[in-house]
Amino acid sequence: MLGAVGGTALAAALAGCSTLLDGDDEGPANGDADVPDEPIQAGLQTFTEGPAAVLGLQAQYGAEIAIQRINDAGGIAGRQMELDVAHEADAAVENYTQFVDQGKDVTFGPISSGGHAALAPEVESQGVVNVGTDGTVTTLYEDTVPDPTYSFRFQNYDVMECVTAAREAVSRIGADNIDSIAGINPNYSFGQDEWKFFKLAIQQLVGDVEIVHEGFPDLLADDMSTHITEVNNGEPDVTFTSVWGGDVTTLMNQAAANDMFDNTQLVGSILYSAVDELSQDVVEQAQAFSGSRNWYWDFPSGNRWSPNADLSQEARDQYDIVPTAHFMSGYGAVTAWATATEKAVDLTGGWPSQEQIARSLEDHGFHTPAGYHVMGSDHQGKSNAYSGRLEWDDDADSAVLEDVNVFTPQEVAPPIGTDAEEWVNSW
Amino acid sequence: MVVDVANFATHTLNGLQYGFILFLIASGLTIILGILDVLNLAHGELYAVGAYVASSVFGYVTGILASPEGVAGLAVFLVVALIAAVVAAAVLIPLGIALESLFLRPLYERNEVYQLVLTFGLLLVLKDVNKFIWGVRSVRASEIYSGINAIPAAEFVGLNFPTFKIVIIVVGATVVLGLFYFFNRTKTGRIIRATAIDREMATAIGVSTDRTFTLVFAMGAFFAGFAGAMALPQSQATLEMGANPLVLSFVVIVIGGLGSLRGAFVGAMIVGLLSRWAVWQYPPAEIAAPFAIMALILLVKPNGLFGTWGETA
Amino acid sequence: MSEDEATEETEATDATRRSLEDWGRASYVPATRTQDGDRYLRVTRGMVLTPLRLVGWLALFVLFVAIPDIASLSPGIQQRVLHQGVLFGLAAVGLNVLLRHTKLVSFGHAAFFGTGAYTAAVLATHFDVTSMVLLLAAATLLGTLMAGVIGFLSLRHTGLYFSLLTLAFGQLLYAIANGQSVLGGSDGLSVRPGEANRATLFGAEFGADVYSVVVYYLTVLVVVVALFVMWRIVNSPFGKALDAIGQDRTRAQFIGIPVRKYVLAAFVLSGVYGGVAGGMYGLVQQHVRPESTLYFLRSGEILFMAILGGFGTLVGPLVGGVVLVFLQDVGRDFTSYFDALTGVVLILLVFGFPRGIVGSLQSGSGLRQRASAFVDDPTVVGDWVENAVVATTAALARAKQNLWILVFGVR
Repeated sequence: MLGAVGGTALAAALAGCSTLLDGDDEGPANGDADVPDEPIQAGLQTFTEGPAAVLGLQAQYGAEIAIQRINDAGGIAGRQMELDVAHEADAAVENYTQFVDQGKDVTFGPISSGGHAALAPEVESQGVVNVGTDGTVTTLYEDTVPDPTYSFRFQNYDVMECVTAAREAVSRIGADNIDSIAGINPNYSFGQDEWKFFKLAIQQLVGDVEIVHEGFPDLLADDMSTHITEVNNGEPDVTFTSVWGGDVTTLMNQAAANDMFDNTQLVGSILYSAVDELSQDVVEQAQAFSGSRNWYWDFPSGNRWSPNADLSQEARDQYDIVPTAHFMSGYGAVTAWATATEKAVDLTGGWPSQEQIARSLEDHGFHTPAGYHVMGSDHQGKSNAYSGRLEWDDDADSAVLEDVNVFTPQEVAPPIGTDAEEWVNSW
Repeated sequence: MVVDVANFATHTLNGLQYGFILFLIASGLTIILGILDVLNLAHGELYAVGAYVASSVFGYVTGILASPEGVAGLAVFLVVALIAAVVAAAVLIPLGIALESLFLRPLYERNEVYQLVLTFGLLLVLKDVNKFIWGVRSVRASEIYSGINAIPAAEFVGLNFPTFKIVIIVVGATVVLGLFYFFNRTKTGRIIRATAIDREMATAIGVSTDRTFTLVFAMGAFFAGFAGAMALPQSQATLEMGANPLVLSFVVIVIGGLGSLRGAFVGAMIVGLLSRWAVWQYPPAEIAAPFAIMALILLVKPNGLFGTWGETA
Repeated sequence: MSEDEATEETEATDATRRSLEDWGRASYVPATRTQDGDRYLRVTRGMVLTPLRLVGWLALFVLFVAIPDIASLSPGIQQRVLHQGVLFGLAAVGLNVLLRHTKLVSFGHAAFFGTGAYTAAVLATHFDVTSMVLLLAAATLLGTLMAGVIGFLSLRHTGLYFSLLTLAFGQLLYAIANGQSVLGGSDGLSVRPGEANRATLFGAEFGADVYSVVVYYLTVLVVVVALFVMWRIVNSPFGKALDAIGQDRTRAQFIGIPVRKYVLAAFVLSGVYGGVAGGMYGLVQQHVRPESTLYFLRSGEILFMAILGGFGTLVGPLVGGVVLVFLQDVGRDFTSYFDALTGVVLILLVFGFPRGIVGSLQSGSGLRQRASAFVDDPTVVGDWVENAVVATTAALARAKQNLWILVFGVR
């Protein structure tokens, strides 16, 4: 009960603590602050249609539930929050400038890494805080915008996922048993980035490995058989894939049909994003390991952590989906901003400026049902990373992750100020 | 090296299967081009419509025929699945006829530029029709895929190759033979070819060009839809799925010769095989391979491999 | 005679027109003249306008220049979006040289646009070139060179082979840009050179808002110059030769026109416009990605912009660019079926106003005839609707009959 130890109703609601204080709470913690009455206008851009919608809609739903909780808890310093959702569609900058022109107080998204690369410098120009939900290319705050002020990114970024996958592979199979690897990654910067870091990480953990095949099917490719055939031929100990959404289902269906799982162990950074589509026999045949970024809805398992149970139930009831890490991307981005803003209101006694909110977000820690997160001073969010065995659960009638491993940010992210590639090479 | 032969054989079979799907799409495009002299930019969307309709038909079928077991069960499943694919493609026939009669017919006498604009407009509208009926999430027919793959086939030869792809190859080959038979041996087919060679002469001998055009467009649409239905089970139907096959079909018909059916077949096989071999040897080549092949062939044979339609099917 | 062919003219109108043309070509000095009760203004040699036309062009120009102000009226109208429309429209004006005069349909125009954009990006990112003028000049130069290369390889063919070859080259460039990390891969490259993270004009740095306005007016300048240059070319002997080539290549060859050379020159010219537009796009967006600059759908869009605006006119493609981009942007806010909206507009274009937006505003177009018929007698709409319904039902009936015969084989 955060309220009892000095937290706010808002933070409690977003953390998923269902037991709030009753009537003798003194109301919103900063009820006397000088803040406007009108609702806070927030804009989210994400993929509401197209192949990435399987991720994009999750982010939207997560953001919407977070905002519902904020509003139910009385809003931020008494101000309600309203969300406007726009389809990203390769127009990340245009959407952002439209949001800014419309007077939005904050923007969230986009999902695509290209969108982030184009958008981040523009965010710095326009000066309205944007908390990115995904767009996890490693070099965003290393090369593209090295010293950001207004641009933030909540979700664990690529290097974290890949190191998680590498560590997971080693811990499950054993470093001695990994002599050869292969990669099947989507043919764009995200896939290339992930494969690069997985290779680096596994080579550092295990020593030299033979790289049997490096395949880059296009997004939405309808036939990955060439890559599967090569994997079957080379029989690598581990096959790493960063395909997401529909491509996961395509890959796993086709791999099952080609008996690929007899010849290699599949390790995926984000296989779980396809949870709504994967079928039982494919999951059972695959025995794959999958990452789940910074949240898995059933960790700790068996309803021992009620915030997760509540949140997943709400997601299922309201949207009929199994919430994945992308759901948390939306939820966490909103939570980061909301809690930081509330803190800033408290400290300044009025509604904070963009600069003040941005400063409040740096080195800001906050809770969600996924646990404790930190928005680093480098504007990159760092949270625990989850990975587990992809299995089928009859009760849930969907794929689940069993025997979940948790990796702390220290194990999978470089220290602040260090380049990710340098860091992995220095192990 | 037994392993290498098997690997090469698998890649080749992958290429053949890919080639047959390409042929199904490109054949429609090339006969429409050859007879009606229209470059149908909406052809990729007809492929997409076929896939989407098939997802519904397949869904209905798998609702009735649960997981098949035993030789008889599997055989029945395969037959029913094929019939479902044909039924899905058949939906394209009235659609194609309507499109041709309503929209294309008035444009035959006009500047070709307007045919491009119109078919592109139809492309956009069809895309949103798919969105309207089936929504923004992708749809699949995985049960058909796994059901047919349960039939042991390549295992008999010691090869690890999904039965579904073998089905595509066999069905594709049947369609190829059927089309060649149609255009070479049947009266209707030869009339169509005659209309392509000389439209006025054909009218003079009493052929209804009206009906010929409609028939050809309907055929093209049917095969595009059938390709979509056959391609669906191993992957998914999405709103963007029409763009890539459209461009690849262009490549195929240019390689083969605009309007030539034989050219479409050879072109499709070349693109299918070479693409898959290229990806095998040099994965970054995936997008560029078909275009490079096309540019090379055009250097040597500026009118494609088989010239244009008519004289030889 | 179909509706997009020239309307009939009487001999009297012919004579008037010829006398006006002679007067128009007589001198560079602006002058006015009255003929048959109508006033005419000679702006410069070869450009004769009626007062109405003059006002129309001035209004269009004012609108064009005032776009930043129009955009500030509402958040729904984004200056960046309209600016992009102007740039694609400029590329479409270049494409129109091929389309209108030599009657060649190119599906690969995005190749030059993308080359221009990527040149600006590469120079800004890897060589830290900050001067706007330099970036633009380099973009134009490389776009032109690329046009030379692609043109040389493609123009051995005509018709559909040509079109599809241009498509192939466009896609090849897309594949290269997508695959090379030095070009940024699928995430692309930014165009933010120097300390200010923005290009500079003659050394002057700008803040974000001022920059976008400065770049816009630079575009206005470039577009006006480009349009004027195009107008001169079209009305020159070279332009007439291109028309001749478009009408009949063999005959043009017979009368001594070096067809291959001239067509290549036209292709390169279109590349110049594409390159400039692409370079400006890089400066406006400050970030260049393969999908938005090189993908074949971008080529298709540029082509359709030219047709939507009116490919029989000079300025049409520019207008088409702005309208199409605006339509897509606004459409997205209105409905999730914005693709169908654009599609319906294109279908209406084909059947309702084939001369395009600008073309239909000119005299003699079907649209104007219908508009005047409507003004004369509003009930004529009833006739139109009836005709349309009759035609549609007849077509459907024919379709149904054909379907029956196909399926059941009944004679």
